[in-house]
Amino acid sequence: MKKVALQVLVLGLIVMLLLTACAPAATPTAEPTKAPEEAQPAPTQAEPAQPPAETVTLVVWDQYARDVESEVMNQINKEFEEAHPGVKIERVVKSFDDLKTTIKLALGQPDGPDVAQVNQGQDMVAIVAGDLLLPLDDYATKYKWREIFPESLNSRNSATATGFGQGNLYGMSVTAEFVGVYYNKGMFEKYGWKLPTTFDEFTKLLADIKAAGETPITFGDLDGWPGIHTFSSVQHVLVDVDYINNFTYGLNNVSFDIPENREAAKIVQGWAKDGYFTDGFMGIGYDDSLKIYKSGQGALMITGTWAAGEFVTDTDQKFGNFLMPQKTVDTPQLAIGGVGLPFCIRKGTKNADLAAEYINFLVSPRAAQLWAEKGMLPAAPLPADYKVEEGTLLADQVAAWGTLLKSNGIGHYIDWATLTMYDTLNAELQKLFAGETTPEQFTAAIQADYAKR
Amino acid sequence: MNKKYHWPGESRFLGYLYILPGVVIYLLFVLYPVLETVRTSFYRWDGFTVNRTFIGLQNYRQLLIDSQFLQALSHNLIFIIFYSIIPIVLGIILASLLGRRRLPGMTFFRAGLFLPQVISMVVVGVMWRWIFNPVFGPLNAFLKMVGLNSLARPWLGDFNLALPSVGIIGTWVMYGFCMVLFLAGMQRIPEDYYEAAELDGANEVQQLRYITLPSLRPEFGVALITTIIAALRVFDLVYVLTRGGPGDRTLVVAFLVYRAAFQQNRIGYAAAVATVLTLIILLISFLILRFQSRSEE
Repeated sequence: MKKVALQVLVLGLIVMLLLTACAPAATPTAEPTKAPEEAQPAPTQAEPAQPPAETVTLVVWDQYARDVESEVMNQINKEFEEAHPGVKIERVVKSFDDLKTTIKLALGQPDGPDVAQVNQGQDMVAIVAGDLLLPLDDYATKYKWREIFPESLNSRNSATATGFGQGNLYGMSVTAEFVGVYYNKGMFEKYGWKLPTTFDEFTKLLADIKAAGETPITFGDLDGWPGIHTFSSVQHVLVDVDYINNFTYGLNNVSFDIPENREAAKIVQGWAKDGYFTDGFMGIGYDDSLKIYKSGQGALMITGTWAAGEFVTDTDQKFGNFLMPQKTVDTPQLAIGGVGLPFCIRKGTKNADLAAEYINFLVSPRAAQLWAEKGMLPAAPLPADYKVEEGTLLADQVAAWGTLLKSNGIGHYIDWATLTMYDTLNAELQKLFAGETTPEQFTAAIQADYAKR
Repeated sequence: MNKKYHWPGESRFLGYLYILPGVVIYLLFVLYPVLETVRTSFYRWDGFTVNRTFIGLQNYRQLLIDSQFLQALSHNLIFIIFYSIIPIVLGIILASLLGRRRLPGMTFFRAGLFLPQVISMVVVGVMWRWIFNPVFGPLNAFLKMVGLNSLARPWLGDFNLALPSVGIIGTWVMYGFCMVLFLAGMQRIPEDYYEAAELDGANEVQQLRYITLPSLRPEFGVALITTIIAALRVFDLVYVLTRGGPGDRTLVVAFLVYRAAFQQNRIGYAAAVATVLTLIILLISFLILRFQSRSEE
């Protein structure tokens, strides 16, 4: 008898363990199984009617991981919590790469994040195809979000199951970005260099800086992706906005293997050959290149506005920013850019209204001011009575953003074009910069990836 | 109950109960995921939605013509030199230097030489990324200080040196493990062998050749299998240091799996690559074990 009892016990144990372990895997997209905490009636305005009885936790995933931007997000969350008693923001910070790889699975979980930043482009398309995001069009109407951005920017946060650039609105961005040229003001003063107004002047400036014995462009391409911005900044000078839109959205059968792209590849390869980049740039990571630049090594740096916060803290150098000059003074300005990763709402969340309320605060003038105070470029308009201090890096960038909006010249990150384009561009550009391939081989290799769409 | 087969002590059945937790954990966290991976390799799946399509061997067919896979695999094979062969040679040299002498501070040296093995690979990666940094890293700074400017390189970004640079870090991590393994094995060799050899006039090298090395055969087997497996499944170092770059020069199979699965949403293909990698590792381990048991006969 004892033996039978043991057998039953053992079998029971096995079955129990197997069942408990398999349960979550068997129902990957099931509704929440946890004890339902009643969703709080979301406060309709910034002023809550009365403190809710129990605490609602809003889980938010963002990728503002660098020191300064992270500080701003913490402050924004704190102010939102103060205005909404009973609401707790549980912030999960991830690096961009980390977020990109984990967010898809997380959004499919019943206890996944309520609000999360999602990469635009093919990533968003795949997630929309998986039916994991809540369309925000109703909230956009309620909160008048479409008045905050021109339609060309909202379309970047819109997607269907097959493509992006159209369809439902799925997210709102809080920071604006463009890839421009930073310059070291002290160095420019010392040598008497002038800001270039055409691309030819820019090229001449590089030669002058090199002749003066300084590094023209601080650059590190160990991580691969900074190379995309360097190449594509020049590309945006040589092509027009329609081409960039067509290529990125996959419209009208455009090719990558065109003379303009070959020319851009030839130019940046020439810069590498002529020693215009930081010595050893192939072995320097992006974050290290920021450190090198803010320590005063290098006259220029081609990178995005997201780095601005780093350039105004812990450095004794003064930096300015200008847009990559076009072929002539009259050519409409075009630059790589867009809005930061949009904040989206997970479809299965119980706190959708509160999540929308939170996003509305993220795009409010007050939040914009918090970004601006730390030297970061907000996507949303600043409060009418808030003045950006003149002569600052931020003032340069606010002005440049205005120029881009006016000329409808906000280009794209070309690695959005296909799911593999990011990896392909990283590898092929490293080969190009190192002189392992020719500009012709480069454009052909990228086109080969693009043609596989 | 039949008393004839009664064994002394507790019921024999109880023994199975003792190993049950281990077996259950093994089934759940090793065998089940492995089988699930093999199954997934026959599907086309983006990894997070319910749209999963059975496509038979298509993933494997694609793998055979994927030049990136073959290139990555060749890098893993080169890593065997850095992860396995050099550490084993270094390990045996260090073990014979440290093992048979009683010098003051020996424990300190043993612990120090073993240290790289206990540091997390991500920390190792971050540390070496700094060492290799062309602008503020100590390696190039040292070369410039001693007048070897021409040798300074963007190590991890150099098309010819990136792979050996990552490999050397593998050597640095693995040799301590080999050394400790051989030191442990040497404890087992009776001291009289060496005394007898000495009386017969054998010098140190001869003692190493005819006593130490043959006695350490089982340890060699363990060292070979462990280090070769480490070389074939390198991921963390490449992820932290180079992301497979420059170009594809440090691309390894495990990184390809990661990229296909988590960046390109091709879980089925990633599973196929992972399955093939597992088969290669099993085959190599099997060959080493067989070779070893045969040479022991």
